[in-house]
Amino acid sequence: MIVTRSGTALQGVGIGLRAPHYGAFLDGDPAVPWLEVHSENYFGDGGFDLHVLDTVRQRYPVSLHGVGMALGSVDGLSDRHVEHLARLVERVEPALVSEHVCWGRSGDRHFNDLLPMPYTREALALMVERVDALQNRLSRRILIENVSSYLAYAHDDCSEVEFLVELAQRSGCGLLLDINNLYVNAVNHGFDARTALATIPAGVVGEIHLAGHSKADDVLIDDHGSRVGEPVRQLYRSAIDRFGAVPTLIEWDTAIPPLDVLLDEAVRAATLRDAPADA
Amino acid sequence: MPDLAGTQARFAAALTDAAAAATAVDLFRCDPATATRRLAIYRGNVQANAIGALQAAYPVVRRVVGDEFFAGLAVHYARAQPSADGDLNRFGDRLPDFLSAFEPAQDLPYLPDVAQLEWAVHRSHYAADAPPFDPATLAAVPPERQGDLRIHLHPAVALVQSPWPIARIWEIHQPDFEGEFAVEPVGGGQRALVYRPRWRVAVRPASPGEQAFLAAGSRGATLDVAVGRALVADPGFDLGSRLPVWVAEGVLAGLDLPP
Repeated sequence: MIVTRSGTALQGVGIGLRAPHYGAFLDGDPAVPWLEVHSENYFGDGGFDLHVLDTVRQRYPVSLHGVGMALGSVDGLSDRHVEHLARLVERVEPALVSEHVCWGRSGDRHFNDLLPMPYTREALALMVERVDALQNRLSRRILIENVSSYLAYAHDDCSEVEFLVELAQRSGCGLLLDINNLYVNAVNHGFDARTALATIPAGVVGEIHLAGHSKADDVLIDDHGSRVGEPVRQLYRSAIDRFGAVPTLIEWDTAIPPLDVLLDEAVRAATLRDAPADA
Repeated sequence: MPDLAGTQARFAAALTDAAAAATAVDLFRCDPATATRRLAIYRGNVQANAIGALQAAYPVVRRVVGDEFFAGLAVHYARAQPSADGDLNRFGDRLPDFLSAFEPAQDLPYLPDVAQLEWAVHRSHYAADAPPFDPATLAAVPPERQGDLRIHLHPAVALVQSPWPIARIWEIHQPDFEGEFAVEPVGGGQRALVYRPRWRVAVRPASPGEQAFLAAGSRGATLDVAVGRALVADPGFDLGSRLPVWVAEGVLAGLDLPP
């Protein structure tokens, strides 16, 4: 049974909390409605990172975003990883917990990357089972994010968005819709992102991610190393029209800018979100 | 149609070895040449993540050998001892042993011990917290029973012993180090004490007496036994003068009487 926490709803456009900005959040209260962190960076037993997280948690709602569970790996979940996440969830009492539609382990090897799943019935059944197990262990609903990919499988039997929606419907999870990843995949694999967006039911999206990408030869890379690109912003506006003002996060993980730039990017997204529908 | 296990196994092989990409390309919708190029992007990302994790854990080794050498070392290490954990902060624990046998690093014989010290520093950063030891609790213990007190080191404390001056090598390669960039005596061995006063991990040389006392304490020795070990190692060892230092540094978590 999934227990959904009430009263912890996030609002507005938050940012990812990264180590270079720890000092600003310990010394003051930068104006941002909520923060998201990568769960694995707080898997330690103690120390400075957890101290910072405990401290900011007193003043900001926090979302835990996992990048290392590798949920869709046929070789199974790491019990250790699941237990570390459960321990962190208990400590932080986050507003949201999220992970990805991806695999990342094979045998004893962990690639520490978000590798694409084929969109097949078999892969869907596995993802439903894994998401269900994780939700049960954490006693809460989680959000699952679409990843960007540079390769699409020849044997897919549905589209990415169909896969995501059915995963949400069958497991009861919500979707963390990464608009940048959707755009990157639309370009890389040749589909229309706006049409794909229009097939996602309104109530299922619990969070949106925005980030920058770059182009390398014939492929877009979601490097999270720049401001949000204009096509992604336009797609975000369409998403808001369809899903309402769901909590949104600016992700910036490489070439991390000064905090002011990151906060300004969050304000830019909020302004776009709040503009009249036909602006 | 390939099943999920077969799909992931072939993809995984292509990530591990460029030569295996040819057996994976037909999994994908694009032409084989495009698939080969894009598998190479994934292979590059996996490698970059591994290098980044090792750079974060071993900044001193990196400064000693330089960026280019370190990147090459990281690639070789990741191939020999790939990550096994979804938490990249746990990747790299076997680099000290790997360095001992790594041919291109043989002219830096102290490097494996420096790496061992850095791994201890890295783990100390994530170790459990403990409240500071309050020396006033000692006053409550009758003097005749104080020798039975059991020593609890702070969980973030570690000791690394080396025939090389590793604490000094670590110190002069810190980004904020402003002293003279020199190691003297060049051949002197050191016991390095890793500790974490107020969140930031620190390293300093430990005297032979300190090393003996704290090593005994880490194995659950009583005060009497640990002081005995310290005096064997260093006849001048004085607990009374060391105790306030350890309290200030957060080296001790507690002293208590076994029930």
